[in-house]
Amino acid sequence: MTTSPRSGESPGFFAFAREHTFVTIFGILMPLAVFAVFVGYPILFTIYLSLFEWNGMTPDKTFVGLENYRHMIGDSHFQIALINNFKWLAVTLAFPVLAGLLIAYALRNRILPAAALVRTIIFFPVTMSLISVGLMFLLILNPLFGAFDTVLRSVGLGFLVTEWFGNYKVAIYTLAIVSGWAFTGMPMIFYYAGLGDVPKETFDAARIEGAGHWRMLTKVAIPQLRPVTAVVVMLTLFESLRAFDLVAVMTKGAPFGYTNVLGYIVYLESFWNTRFGYGAAISVAILAVSALMALIILKKLMKGAFDV
Amino acid sequence: MSEMLILAHRRDVFRFTARFLGYTLLAVLLAVWSGPIVLVLITSIKSNQDFLAGPFSIPSHPTFQPYIDVWNSLGFSGLLANSFLYATAGSALAVILALVPAFALSRMEVPGKTFIFGLILTGLMLPQQTVLIPLYDTLRTLHLLDTKIGLIIVHAAYGMPAQILILRGFMTSIPREIEKAAYVEGATDFQVFYKIILPLSLPGVVVGFTLNFIAIWKEFVFGLVLLNSEQNFPVTVGMLKLNSDRYMAVFNLPAAGLVISQIPIIVLFILTYRKIASGNFAGAVKG
Repeated sequence: MTTSPRSGESPGFFAFAREHTFVTIFGILMPLAVFAVFVGYPILFTIYLSLFEWNGMTPDKTFVGLENYRHMIGDSHFQIALINNFKWLAVTLAFPVLAGLLIAYALRNRILPAAALVRTIIFFPVTMSLISVGLMFLLILNPLFGAFDTVLRSVGLGFLVTEWFGNYKVAIYTLAIVSGWAFTGMPMIFYYAGLGDVPKETFDAARIEGAGHWRMLTKVAIPQLRPVTAVVVMLTLFESLRAFDLVAVMTKGAPFGYTNVLGYIVYLESFWNTRFGYGAAISVAILAVSALMALIILKKLMKGAFDV
Repeated sequence: MSEMLILAHRRDVFRFTARFLGYTLLAVLLAVWSGPIVLVLITSIKSNQDFLAGPFSIPSHPTFQPYIDVWNSLGFSGLLANSFLYATAGSALAVILALVPAFALSRMEVPGKTFIFGLILTGLMLPQQTVLIPLYDTLRTLHLLDTKIGLIIVHAAYGMPAQILILRGFMTSIPREIEKAAYVEGATDFQVFYKIILPLSLPGVVVGFTLNFIAIWKEFVFGLVLLNSEQNFPVTVGMLKLNSDRYMAVFNLPAAGLVISQIPIIVLFILTYRKIASGNFAGAVKG
């Protein structure tokens, strides 16, 4: 050990490896190997498989070129699922992210009493599995014995009552809102931490100038929270594209596939219809959408959020 | 004088209004976020007759029978033991895999740092459904499909990226002076890591392990696809059965099942809540 570990200005890999053998093996090569096996290879294999027809059992696969993709574009189940993922994303940005921000702001500015209680009850569902959350809301939104319809009727909003899972226009929003209920604690915690990092003087200065809460929120808090928002939007995006569990436990895509999401039809096509090639093609579509959206967010919002 | 009184009065009115709004908001938040949970708790101790009296009826004869029934018919002892194994072993492996990478990324000019961070982000954000087919295929080739070991390895691999970020966040906050002295004394990287950084990172290890434990406890997709035999199922996959006519006829059984599945997390939540909810991990993600 002749030089301090910080002294080298980006040395070559082999120079680094000679000087830091232990770190190179366990800190770089081992995680890279794990990535190669569990992330790199699966992505490449999925792309490769999307060009084949395969039932998942026999060793031989039939090359079909872009046929799976051609079929996908015309597949109404795929179209509905894709649109549902975007509806899910829109609901998640509008409900849990916004609610999380407002609650965090209200907690930091002492508009809300009982801060510890509020943080606990809103964060708690984040620790629940979505299977539990889904089952819970199946009970609460049940058309015969559910509590929610009873509440709506008792406050005179009985005309809103519908088949929350049976009405094909409503069902996907029911799922997205339930997922939002469980997710709100996440943005709340991030925004709460972010607001804690904003220097107190910034808010005090605005308050002295006579800014109300609306202006403090829009002109001070939100601009200051930009890096946090980038992380939260990123999380939200992937949470929405990953949507699966609630669909599996609450509706299984019913009614008539109107609550299918991309992740769920990958599962159906691959493991129920044993069309693994087609499932892989839909997987590639998910990957493409994720990568594209991530790129946009990185470009627009992310500057300085991950200090690499 | 009277002007001041009016001003004071106005301020009181304003304060009162603000307080009133605050408490109204509090009531709404409590109703929306803890209402469903309270209802499930109440439902879980209702007898069948109490259940038929309506969702808000107070149980006249509170009973633990639903818990006993659902425990036996769903085989909760096996499900809980499996989930506990997956969450403990998977998280422990993920943390162990992540320790040295976090050490390297927090204190050294690692060649290809940006590339490694790119990989970590990819691993974090990869939608699991897109890799189900290759994972299924790989595990089958290795004869690890439908085995506990197979699922543990998958959980460890997918837990690692988040653990690297969390642990790196903690390690970055450890002052460099201590290790500098050690390096001057001729310590090797391994000694610095093992004797200095690792003990000081223990709070980070606790937070990382806990978050990973909860993540695996909640996980569903991998368990659903990579396992076939009921004796290997985690709680989430086993509970899927609760959504069937047999269990949904009366809600007290599913409600009791829900509560059982969440109890281990509640215990963990109580033990580590302060560390986690303080937003430390949010800071870790920001770097």
